[in-house]
This record gives sequence, C-alpha cells and structure tokens, in this order.
Amino acid sequence: MIAIDYIIVLIFLVVMFYMGIIFYKWVGSSDDFYLAGRQLTPFILAAVIAATNVNLYSFVGQAGIAYKEGIPIIWQTWTGNMALVISGLFVIPIFRRLRIRTIPEFLEKRYSKGVRTFVAILWIFRLSFWLGVVLYTAVIASQTISGYDSFTAWVLIFSIVVILYTILGGMWSVAFTDVIQFVLMLGSSLILLPLVMSAVGWWPGLTEKLPEGAMTLIKNTGTYDWKFIIAIFLLGIEWACVDQGLLQRAFGSENTRSAAKGLVLAGIITTPFALLWILPGLAARVLFPDLANADSAVPLLITSLIPNIVLGLVVVGLLSSQLSTISGNLNGVATIFASDVYENVINRKASDKDILKIARLITLVVGIGMILFAYLVPILGGAVNAYLTIIAIMDMPLFVIAVIYGLLWKRVNWQGAVAGYIAGAISGIIGQFIYGLNFNVTTFITAGTALIITPLISLMTKEESNAQIDAIWKARTISEEEIINKNVYNIIPKTFNGRLSLMVFISGLILFLIGVIMGSVGSPIASYLAVGGMIIYFVGGLFRTYTN
Amino acid sequence: MYFDWITWSIWLLGFIIMVVWIFIPAREFKKLVQKKRAEEKNKVQHK
Repeated sequence: MIAIDYIIVLIFLVVMFYMGIIFYKWVGSSDDFYLAGRQLTPFILAAVIAATNVNLYSFVGQAGIAYKEGIPIIWQTWTGNMALVISGLFVIPIFRRLRIRTIPEFLEKRYSKGVRTFVAILWIFRLSFWLGVVLYTAVIASQTISGYDSFTAWVLIFSIVVILYTILGGMWSVAFTDVIQFVLMLGSSLILLPLVMSAVGWWPGLTEKLPEGAMTLIKNTGTYDWKFIIAIFLLGIEWACVDQGLLQRAFGSENTRSAAKGLVLAGIITTPFALLWILPGLAARVLFPDLANADSAVPLLITSLIPNIVLGLVVVGLLSSQLSTISGNLNGVATIFASDVYENVINRKASDKDILKIARLITLVVGIGMILFAYLVPILGGAVNAYLTIIAIMDMPLFVIAVIYGLLWKRVNWQGAVAGYIAGAISGIIGQFIYGLNFNVTTFITAGTALIITPLISLMTKEESNAQIDAIWKARTISEEEIINKNVYNIIPKTFNGRLSLMVFISGLILFLIGVIMGSVGSPIASYLAVGGMIIYFVGGLFRTYTN
Repeated sequence: MYFDWITWSIWLLGFIIMVVWIFIPAREFKKLVQKKRAEEKNKVQHK
C-alpha cells in the first residue's frame, strides 16, 4: 500500500465516524439505540443483515477452505441464506409481533425469568468472545495486505471508530454505515473477480487447472460431503432463528412484512455474492498451489494482482466487512446486557434514560474487552477453536427449546427447556471431545438429545399456562399493529397467490434435498438439482413475502 | 478475444445488486430523514 491507499482508508474511517455524530441526534430512547426506532425498511434491512453476515471469515476463512477442499464450502453460505428465508417467512414474524428486543426476552415470556437470565449471560460471553476473534482476524488480514506490521495500530484503527459510532448513533448509525459498507465490500469484490479470473485463464482455465473434484458441488465422501450440507443447513436454520446479532436487526423493521422481506432479500443477495470470495479462493489454488497457510490465499491474491489506489478501495471493502460485523455484535451485547440483565435483574425501576446510558457504557466496556481479547487470541491458540466448537454445540439446543418447542408445543415447560438445553449441550461436548465425533455427527446428536429430553422432562413435571404463553400463540396468526396499519402478513397464506408461492417454495426445498441426497451416491445431476432447487426456493420465498 | 460468459454473468449479477442497493436504500433513508424532521418539528410546535 502507498500513501494514497492510506488516505482512502482514512477518509473512509472519518466518514464512518461522522455518521455516528449525525445519528447521535436520532437516538432519543432505548428503542432508538437498540432497534433504530423500529423503522427499518426491507432493502435497508437486507443490506444490514448481509453486511453483518459477510465478514473476513468469508474472504479469508471460507476462501481458504475453498483453496484446500474445493467449491463445496460455498454451501455454508448458501444454506445459511436458505435458512434466512425460512426464518423470515415463518419465525421472525412471530418474534416481531411480540415486539421483543432480544431472544432471552422471548425465553422469559415463554418459560421463566431464570431461563432468560441464564441464556442472556451465556450470549454476552459468546458475543464478546466472537468480537475478539473477529477483530483479531481483521488485524491479521490487514497486516498481510498492507505490509504494515503493527498489531496495535491495526487494532486501534478497527476498534476506535467502530466503538465510537456505535456508542453515539446506536442501531441508527449501525444500519446506515452497514448499508454503505455492504456496497463497498460488494464493489471491492467486483474489482477483484475479473482480475483473478483473467490471471487463471478465465472459467475454462480455472476448471482445467484445479485438482479433480474441486468443482464438484456435492461430494459423496470427505469432510465437506453431502452430510456436511445437511448439517450446516440445520445449523443455519438454528442461527437464522436465534442469533441475537442477526435478529436484532429484524426486530428493528418497520413492520412484520418488512422483517420477512428483509430476511428473504438478504438471503437472495448474499447467494451470488458468495461466488465473489469462493472463486478467488479456488483461483489462488491455481496461481499459488503450495501455500503453507490456505488462509493467506486471498490476501496474497489481493497484494499480487491489485494495483495501488485500487488496493486502497479493496482494503476499504474488507474493512467494511469487518466493521459492520463488529458494530452489529457490539450493539447486540449492549442490548442483551441493558435489557436482560440490567433492566431485568439489577435495576428494575430504571428509567429509559438510565437504560440508554447503561447501553452506551456497556458498548464501551465490551469494545475495550474486544481489544484486550484480540491480544489474547494468539496466546489461547487451540483453545479458541475449542471454544467456537463448544458454542456451536450450545446453540443447537437453544434453537430446539426456543423455536421448535417454544413456538410449536405449549405443553413444554421451563423445567423441560432447561433440562433439554443442558442435556443437548453435554451430549455434544461428550461426542466432540470424548468420542472425537466429527462436526456433522455432533450436530445431529445435540439436536436429537434436546428434542427427546425437553418433552420428556416437561411431561414428567407440571403443565404451565399463563397469559404470556397465550400471547405467543396469538402472535402466530396476526397482531393488532398489523390490522391498524392495514399491512397484514399471514404465516399460513390465505390467497391463491400466497398458496402458490408457498407451493413453489416447498417444491424448491424438496428438489434441493433430493439433489443433496443424490449426491450421496455420486449422481452427476445432483449439483444441478440442488442448485436448481435452491433458486426455485428463493423465487417462491420472495414471491411469498409480496403475497398474502 | 475470449469472452467468459460465466464469470461476467456472475459479475453482472453482483453489479446489479450493488446498483439496486445504492439507489433503493438511499431513497428509503431520504424518506426516514424527512419523517424524523417532521417528528422533530411537531415536537417543537407542541412545546
């Protein structure tokens, strides 16, 4: 990088900080800080969700796996996008109608205050750790690309601006900067793609020079085989239905239908976007076949193929991908602490102004914690991977108790939920660390245990019924807010067009699953069926959000 | 000169998404700013 590149990066950071100052005036209440006053429109929401989900893990980690294992890793993003559609059509509308701010808040309504506090503390820990890892990844990639080696300088560049604009403007500045950052990261990927593809001899050159099977979307053996696609799809559904960092944006939507549209659009626009970091990862395999560290594949491509000045723009795009993820999760931790711990446990008589102050203070504290943790990551080494595995194990039971039983079966009570959650998590830990089972099998075991234990303990203990559970069941159909605003969204469609779109959506899902299963026997048409099914699924899902 | 339809189709799709996501959110944000300003005006008048 030369001086002009650094100036471009500096201008970008100053603009982001300025956004925080502008939106400071817009934050008059805690709802403004957490949820942008619940006024986000579908296209803004889609960009915000896409920007939060795409980060350097995509450009560095996924591209690195593509370098080593071939194209199948793209299913991690694609099935995640499909999961966003499921969540947007069937789950988020219910949460949006309940006007909750956090998933732990829903757990109190559905089960008990204890479950809310327990899950809230777990999520504060989980998100704070994740922030440290995200910051660390950003710093390492920036060092490689820029050639400027100071760890502390990059930590400060990334964190100070993002912490300040999140504290000042809350979700308003997070939303606005996310939209800008989404466009910037997409733009920089569009600069990279043709340069990379021309270097390998375009598409024919890429497919000819890659090792055999690297372009097979559905494999019947190996770590990233057809079972991986099913397991990661299940985890994607779990993530899209209970992840605080993601859902908080959907809770900030202007109404139920906008929440559904925002999630579906986010899933659709991120699908072609995924090719913009997977193809460079594959091209790096052709250009630099003997890399010791696959994660350096895309940073190396950037430094060797992109000229100065343009390099500054690409770095801004990569910075964007990271800042949007950090700001969203910072805001998420602040919301959980202020709403589920401070307001719910520490000071129940707190005024809205007090809560707003606490939320800002917590954003600062978590931001400082994130910086400290970024320094700890290299020392912890393998422990980080172990931790990330454990939280993956712990998220699946949360999905089972919050969404599957929380929304579908009234008879499940808090005793069953707590027992199912703990049993699911323990079974995952035993499977992963004692029996050394792989990630795919562990996912099925964790989900299966929680699915069995939760109803079993619930049936052995007293049935609960209260007005809050009734309110949740009512939210499955319609809300007064929708009737007043004349913008009703029915989860089960009422019109012909609505039913037709749902049929298209289901047909796409079935076709996708048939394709994945046919991949288990190495069928040559498996990939075509799965991708075709996915496209039909997206078309049906999008059509569904515009019908009733 | 060889023209790679696959790569440029992917590129074009990404470009269209980028253009759409510049103009529509900008329009939506403009409406939100107008709404916020109207709210502030109302507040001042009530005071």
